[in-house]
Amino acid sequence: MSMPAKADQGWRMPSPRALGVTALVLFLGFLTIYPFGMLLYGSLHSTPPGMAGEFNLEGYREAFNAANFRILLVTVEIALAKTIPSLLLAILLAWIVARTDTPWRGKLEVLISLPFFIPPILTAMAWAMLGNPQVGLLNTLWKSMTGATVSPINIYSFGGVVWHMIQYSTPFLFLFIVDIFRAMDPALEESSRMCGASSWRTFRSITLLLMTPALTNAFILSFIRGMENFESPLFFGTPAKITVVTTEIYNSIHHHATPDYQYATAISFLVMMLMLAMVFVQWRILSGRSFQTVTGKGYSPSVMKLGRWRWVTFAFCILFFIVTVVMPVAQLLIGSFFKFFGFYQADMLTLEHYEAVWSSSEIWRGFTNTMWLGLMGASATMALGGVVAYISVRTQWRGRRLIDALAWLPWMMPGMVLGIGFLWAFAMLPGPIPIYGTIWALLLAYIALGTPVSVRVMSSAYAQLSYDLEECSRVHGATFMQTLWRILVALAWPSFAVGWVLTFFGIMRELSASVLLYAVGSEVLSVVLMKLWANGQAEQVSVIGLFMMLLVILFRWVQLRFLNSRFGQA
Amino acid sequence: MSEILLEGLSCQFGASTAVDAIDLAVETGEFLTLLGPSGCGKTTTLRMIAGLQQSSGGRISIGGEVVSDSARGFFMAPERRRLGMVFQSYAIWPHMTVFDNVAYPLRIRRRPAAEIKESVARALRLVEMEAYAERPAPALSGGQQQRVAIARALVFEPRVLLLDEPLSNLDARLRMQTGDEFRALQKRLGITSIYVTHDQSEAMSLSDRIVVMHGGKILQIGAPESIYHQPQSLAVAKFFGTPNALQATVRAALRLPNGQVELEVAGEGFAGTCRAAAEMPVGQKISIVMRPEQMRFCSGDGLAEGLRWTGEVMESIFRGPYRSYKVQTPSGVILVDCAGLAAPVAGERVTIETDGRAGWALPC
Ligand SMILES: Nc1ncnc2c1ncn2[C@@H]1O[C@H](COP(=O)(O)OP(=O)(O)O)[C@@H](O)[C@H]1O
Ligand SMILES: [Mg+2]
Repeated sequence: MSMPAKADQGWRMPSPRALGVTALVLFLGFLTIYPFGMLLYGSLHSTPPGMAGEFNLEGYREAFNAANFRILLVTVEIALAKTIPSLLLAILLAWIVARTDTPWRGKLEVLISLPFFIPPILTAMAWAMLGNPQVGLLNTLWKSMTGATVSPINIYSFGGVVWHMIQYSTPFLFLFIVDIFRAMDPALEESSRMCGASSWRTFRSITLLLMTPALTNAFILSFIRGMENFESPLFFGTPAKITVVTTEIYNSIHHHATPDYQYATAISFLVMMLMLAMVFVQWRILSGRSFQTVTGKGYSPSVMKLGRWRWVTFAFCILFFIVTVVMPVAQLLIGSFFKFFGFYQADMLTLEHYEAVWSSSEIWRGFTNTMWLGLMGASATMALGGVVAYISVRTQWRGRRLIDALAWLPWMMPGMVLGIGFLWAFAMLPGPIPIYGTIWALLLAYIALGTPVSVRVMSSAYAQLSYDLEECSRVHGATFMQTLWRILVALAWPSFAVGWVLTFFGIMRELSASVLLYAVGSEVLSVVLMKLWANGQAEQVSVIGLFMMLLVILFRWVQLRFLNSRFGQA
Repeated sequence: MSEILLEGLSCQFGASTAVDAIDLAVETGEFLTLLGPSGCGKTTTLRMIAGLQQSSGGRISIGGEVVSDSARGFFMAPERRRLGMVFQSYAIWPHMTVFDNVAYPLRIRRRPAAEIKESVARALRLVEMEAYAERPAPALSGGQQQRVAIARALVFEPRVLLLDEPLSNLDARLRMQTGDEFRALQKRLGITSIYVTHDQSEAMSLSDRIVVMHGGKILQIGAPESIYHQPQSLAVAKFFGTPNALQATVRAALRLPNGQVELEVAGEGFAGTCRAAAEMPVGQKISIVMRPEQMRFCSGDGLAEGLRWTGEVMESIFRGPYRSYKVQTPSGVILVDCAGLAAPVAGERVTIETDGRAGWALPC
């Protein structure tokens, strides 16, 4: 975009590029700034979205009280309580997979990371059945084996919430750390051995310390995610009267006699501010504190020979997989075949739940909606991410920083907060734009939530492509669009595909924004599951859960089999 | 006494053999270089000595003590072999200062703080880095990192120093200077050193002895000059520059007092004398290896010793210190590197000759 040389040349037709950039800025603004801005509006507005009311500070007056301070403390406590063991566990698992001669390490890696891709609502329900203090499978098994009369496990507790979160943050951190282990220059450790340090000493004073910045980053990321978690406290905390920030927002809309939108929005706004502050702190802590430890050398670090201990490490990894995947799946499987949840006798075997699910139009509608949203959402998100990343990484255009910043905003925003923002945003749209209460509302929310990740995936894909390729193509006579299409799309498509699958998984598991934005007719599977669960239909939940598990495993298999990239940039 | 002894040392990666049953004895105080093209197994050999790579066959002894024996499945851990090592990437730890990097081996050994301070200062002085002790490691240039790596490898007075292409990440000017400095330091300390490089001029200028490797095998071991002038095979000869190699037949052989053999040879359009390592029967076909810089232009017919050709200059390229010529002769194309202002031009007829000691005969 070049400025006219003289002002008096008068108004000129803006270039197509300027129009395009403006349109993109407006669209991104609609997806991010607008809903976040509406949080402020809504928090000052005395009535629910779309109704006439007055402006006051009631919401904030309600929000700032001792009870809420306790809620914030509990939230932080839970996030810390789950992040620390997860980090230790993840380091151990990553070390086993990347640095030892444990058998079948490649397969173990796939198994250990699998929980990350399973929608948390599924395992939450499965664990609610496994660890139910009255009829949970684990408790009944234990009692029948030992003759004890008290249940050892109560999943509806602080420990239960933390335990469920650990199952997710461990694979997340594992994926993160295993790559750091792999990318590290082996000479950094080998030189320590040559200096006389044992392998354990080397691990402590070289490997771990070199990883500190990256681990700090992972820790903060995992901590923030812990504060935003919705499923675990909803399922295991609420029955035990443990409330965290997300469930407080949810309850104030869904479980009060009259939904208190102003209060919920005020809290959401405060949470948004808190998240921005934490991301800023994270950025401050980490800027300039990362070590260049990566080499381009081909051979990966040599592995430690564990001797017979390698079967112990192998068993440990398998145990993790059994506890986080096999046990919940087994529970769903068992639950789906018995007449009533908790009564597992041979004469109770039945297929009626499969029939019920099969013939339920509501469930089919949820399935169709989820698939439609997944396909459309993932494609749109990745396309948007591809364009945004291209403009911010590969061009010098004016406005590229603004575009990048806008697309980044939802990063680290809880789905719950964005959901409330969109609730206001859609309700306040002028009449003829009917988004509120339709499936489009969900689609736009998913795009907004997915864009930061898609931008990161595509940026790193572009960053790996040499500029020469692009310039060479221009020199040889291709236009800008031809170049973009031929070179970049052709070369960056593997990352695009990886990002697509990642986004699809993200949409399939999304609950907190969906539960705020759905309307009758636009329910997604996770919402259908929650409704069934609330009605006490744990058996049908098991059937759907199994089915979704299968879907996850199928997608994951396709991803690993055909995309030739282990995890993408999660 | 040999400080390091390799006996039938092999290393296998899956089906491919990186190092193939090599035998080598390194003398105490010696500067030995492993030289060979990329991928010939130099690094693997060094890593086996260090203990960072397990051998799949053979034995390694250091200072008379067996540190690795594949037959018995015995491998001493690298930290117990007391060897210093400088890595190609230097492997300076970025989370420490220069001082901490160099002090690390002493801290591992739990030396008292005062001694550590003194030893580190001495090691840094050796490599002229004492002014940088408090710098964080990432703030160093490539050449400075290399010096720190050497200081760290020397500070605990190891028995042997292992270096894997330590100069390859430096630019050309710095490479030569650093190499010379390091050689001086090595001589002063008298520390046994095994040095890996693929750069033949580096190997020539630094080493007491050179081990030429190819495809996991040792082709020749010897002092730089003997390897250069008296190669045992065409492969070794070709590793250093682009020698002329002409076919000829042995006419007569005469043993000289220095152990070498003088051969009378005749080839396509030339006849004369050259040298060989061993006596060869009359009628044997040989290749005569001659370095381009040992050839010179001459005017008339003068000396009887040596070999001589007449031909036409095809190409003449100015290379700064000298000129490279390609001369077409009845015996084939001969390369001549020659300094001097009177330069024959392309198309000119010239006579070239070489000294009787400069031609080296190899059986072919
Ligand atoms: N860790 C390894 N795994 C598999 N092959 C290796 C490994 N290290 C080296 N090789 C192979 O062994 C051969 C010798 O390698 P190397 O000793 O590094 O060569 P050099 O140092 O002489 O360039 C090469 O063909 C290389 O590909
Ligand atoms: Mg090498």
